[in-house]
Amino acid sequence: MRPFLATFLRELRAYFLSPLAYLVLFFFLIINGIIFAAIIGFLSDPRASGTERPMDALFGGGGFFFWLVFMIICTVLTMRLISEELRSGSIEVLMTAPITEAEVVTAKYLAALTFFCALWIPTLLYGAILAHYSKVDWGPIAGGYFGIFCLGAMCLAVGIFASAMTRSQLVAAIMTFTLLTVLFIVGLLGNLFNNDTIKQALSHIDLVSHMDEFRKGIVDTRRLIYYASAIFFFLFLASRTLEDRKWR
Amino acid sequence: MIEAQNLTRRYGDFTAVDGVSFTAADHEILGMLGPNGAGKTTTIRMITGFLPPSAGRVTVAGRDLFEAPREARRHVGYLPENVALYPEMRVHEYLAYRALLEGLTGAAAREAIGEAVERCLLAEVREQIIGTLSKGFRQRTALATAILHRPRVLVLDEPTVGLDPKQIIAIRELIRELGRERTLLLSTHILPEVELLCDRVMIIDRGRIAAEGTPESLRESWVGNPSVKVAFKGEPADAAAVLGQLAGVREVRPGPSGPGSLVLECERGADPREEVFHAAVEHGWTLLELTPERASLEDVFVRLTTRDTSAEEPGPAAAAGDASDASESEPAPAGAEAEARGAAGHEEVPS
Repeated sequence: MRPFLATFLRELRAYFLSPLAYLVLFFFLIINGIIFAAIIGFLSDPRASGTERPMDALFGGGGFFFWLVFMIICTVLTMRLISEELRSGSIEVLMTAPITEAEVVTAKYLAALTFFCALWIPTLLYGAILAHYSKVDWGPIAGGYFGIFCLGAMCLAVGIFASAMTRSQLVAAIMTFTLLTVLFIVGLLGNLFNNDTIKQALSHIDLVSHMDEFRKGIVDTRRLIYYASAIFFFLFLASRTLEDRKWR
Repeated sequence: MIEAQNLTRRYGDFTAVDGVSFTAADHEILGMLGPNGAGKTTTIRMITGFLPPSAGRVTVAGRDLFEAPREARRHVGYLPENVALYPEMRVHEYLAYRALLEGLTGAAAREAIGEAVERCLLAEVREQIIGTLSKGFRQRTALATAILHRPRVLVLDEPTVGLDPKQIIAIRELIRELGRERTLLLSTHILPEVELLCDRVMIIDRGRIAAEGTPESLRESWVGNPSVKVAFKGEPADAAAVLGQLAGVREVRPGPSGPGSLVLECERGADPREEVFHAAVEHGWTLLELTPERASLEDVFVRLTTRDTSAEEPGPAAAAGDASDASESEPAPAGAEAEARGAAGHEEVPS
C-alpha cells in the first residue's frame, strides 16, 4: 500500500509542480467562466424559456465545443504520465522498487483523476451563486457532475493507456485524442442507420446521449457499468502494455 | 548475496546474455568488466528485476526475483547507468518519495533519509530542485536513493561516469565503505577502479563470462610472466649476460628507453630485484632504475576481449585445453579464440 501511496502522491505533486497543470486550470476556468457568464445572461433575459436546468451549458448542453475542450483536457492531463518515465529512463528505478505495473498504472491514474476533479471544484461556486439568487434544483446538477466524473474517468483511462504505449508525449497525446474521438463518434453513428437494433446498440455507447441523461439527473446503472468496464479495460491494457516492455 | 544461474536474455534473434552464472557473497564487492555491448547492463537489469531472463534464474538474499519480486526487490538497491530522477522535485522531497516507495514511513523514513544524506554528502543541496543540480550531485542523489532502504544487495552500474576527479575519489570511498556492509555488484569501464575496489572480478564478453577471479589471479593467469625494467648509467657491455645468469630470470631484452636499459623476463613468482642490485654493486654499475613491471588488468581485459589478440596468443587457460564448450558458442571465426573463451568460462581461478 505504501508504494502505491508514494506513487500517487508523487504524481499528484508533479501536476502542481508543472506549468502545464496551471495552464490547463487557467484556460479551463476562463472557458467555464465565459459559459457561466452566458448562463447568467440567459437567466436574466425575461423572454428566455427552459431555465429550469441553468447549469446544463456547463455539462455539455452547449454542443460540441464542450466535447472538444473535454477531450483536450483529458489528453493533456494523461500524455505525460507514463511516457515521460519511459523517455527519461526513471521507469528503471520505479520498476525495480517493490511495486507492480498494475499499481503504478492505478496510482498514476488516480492522481490524474484527482487533479481532474480538482479542476471542477471551482465551478461548484457557480451553483452556489445561482442558488443565492434563485431556486435551484440540485438533482440535475449533481447528475451533471456525476456524468462529468464518469466520462472524465473513462477518458483518463484511455489517456494513460496511450501514454504507456510510447516514450513520446506527443505521440501519446495524438493517440489519446484519436481514441477519444473514435469513442465519441462511434456512438453518433447510430443516427446513420434506420435499423432499430443497430440504432439501439449504438445508443448504449453514445457518450452524448449519456451526458444528456446525466444532465437531467438520470443515473442509469447500465451507464455506470459501461463506464466501469471501459475504465477497467483501459487500465488493464495500460498495465499490460507496461509489462510488455519486459519481453521485447 | 546474489545467485545467478545460467542467466540468458534474448532480444529477438540476438542473444545479449548467454548462460551467465555467478554468485556474489555477503560483504563482497564483485566487479563486472566488459566492453560496450558485452551484456553488462542487460545482466544487471536481470539482477535488479527490471528485465526477466529468457532462461535461468536469479535469487537475491535467498528470494527469487521473479517468483517473489516484491520481497526480493526490497533487498536490492540499484543505481542505473542513466541516472533519471524527477527534475521538478527537491532533493529531500525525492528522497521522501523513494522512502515511502520502499515502504518506510515516519521516524524510520526520517532516519533513513538523514543517514543517506549524510553518507552521500547531500546536506548542502537538500533543498535544491533536482533539475538544477550538477551531474555529480544528481549521481549522489541517485546513490542515496539506492542505499535508502538499507538493501542487502547493492548494484551500481557505472557509478563514476561523468564525475570530476574529486567526486570520483569521494564516491569510490563510499563504495568501498558500502561494500563492507553488503553484497555489492559494480559494473564499470574503468579498470583501475576495479583493481582499487573489487574483491573479485568477472569479465564479460559477448554475453558470456570470459574470466573470473581476484584481480591478482586474473593478472597472473592471463598475462604471462612478471618482468623487471632495469636501467644503468653508461652502457655496461656485459650487463645483459650477467643478469641473464641470475636465478629466476628467463630472458633479457633491450629495454624501451634506449641504451643501458634492459627488461628482464622472469619466471612466475620470481622477483630478482635484490640480485640485480647486488650484481650492480659487484660490477660497479650505477643503477638508475629498477622497476617491477606489473601486468595490469587492462592487459587482461584487452587480451580477453579483443578478437585478434586472443586468436593469436591464447591465454594459459586455453593452452590447458578444454574445448568442449567451443561448439556452444556462435559460429566462431577463430577456433583458438572460441577455445580460449570456452575454457576461461569454466576455469575457476582460485582467489
